[in-house]
Amino acid sequence: MAIQTDACVIGQGISINGRLTGDEDLVIEGRVEGTIALNNHLMVEVTGTVVADVEAVELTVRGTVSGNIAASQVVSIQADATVVGDVRAPRIIIEDGARFKGNIDMDVPLPEGL
Amino acid sequence: MANTIIGSTIVIDGEITGDEALYIQGTVKGRIALEESLYVEEGGEVEADIETQNVEISGNLTGNITATERVEIKETGRVVGDVKSPRILIADGAVFKGHIDMEV
Repeated sequence: MAIQTDACVIGQGISINGRLTGDEDLVIEGRVEGTIALNNHLMVEVTGTVVADVEAVELTVRGTVSGNIAASQVVSIQADATVVGDVRAPRIIIEDGARFKGNIDMDVPLPEGL
Repeated sequence: MANTIIGSTIVIDGEITGDEALYIQGTVKGRIALEESLYVEEGGEVEADIETQNVEISGNLTGNITATERVEIKETGRVVGDVKSPRILIADGAVFKGHIDMEV
């Protein structure tokens, strides 16, 4: 799902330190430290830096995310992205060129006896 | 020039700092320090102490404001707090309670 063009944008010159919650699409081009809980699509752009635990429906990372990520639908770590932290989502995409360090949990049902 | 818009369903609890214009349509609690203009738009709810260059308030703001240039409370604006700035404008219809210091 593409992000809406009228999405809320945290611009390059802005840094937020604290808790950010919301129901609409959000694009981060600046810096956010703390926690993010969003009931929609979160996009961390190339210039964006997030040092926070993130909860969202969908997450697309092109910039840098340091923290644990939980998404109810999909996490996409794109070619320019750097992600350090644990990721939990039913669908997780890591593109060629992306840097990632952490655990991945896709809620896979384990075979009996494992 | 890029702008930052805090949309109507967004709630931020903490500190916002920066050097570009910021438009608030949602809710911000805490502290805002900007080297640019701040716009609290209709529907915006701000409970924060503010340090900035310019502020334009069409929404609700509770907190103390220090602006290096200008503070404008528009007709739909509602401000409770102390305001310190060389230029302060209050439009007809605006609601304000607090102290004003124009550094006279």
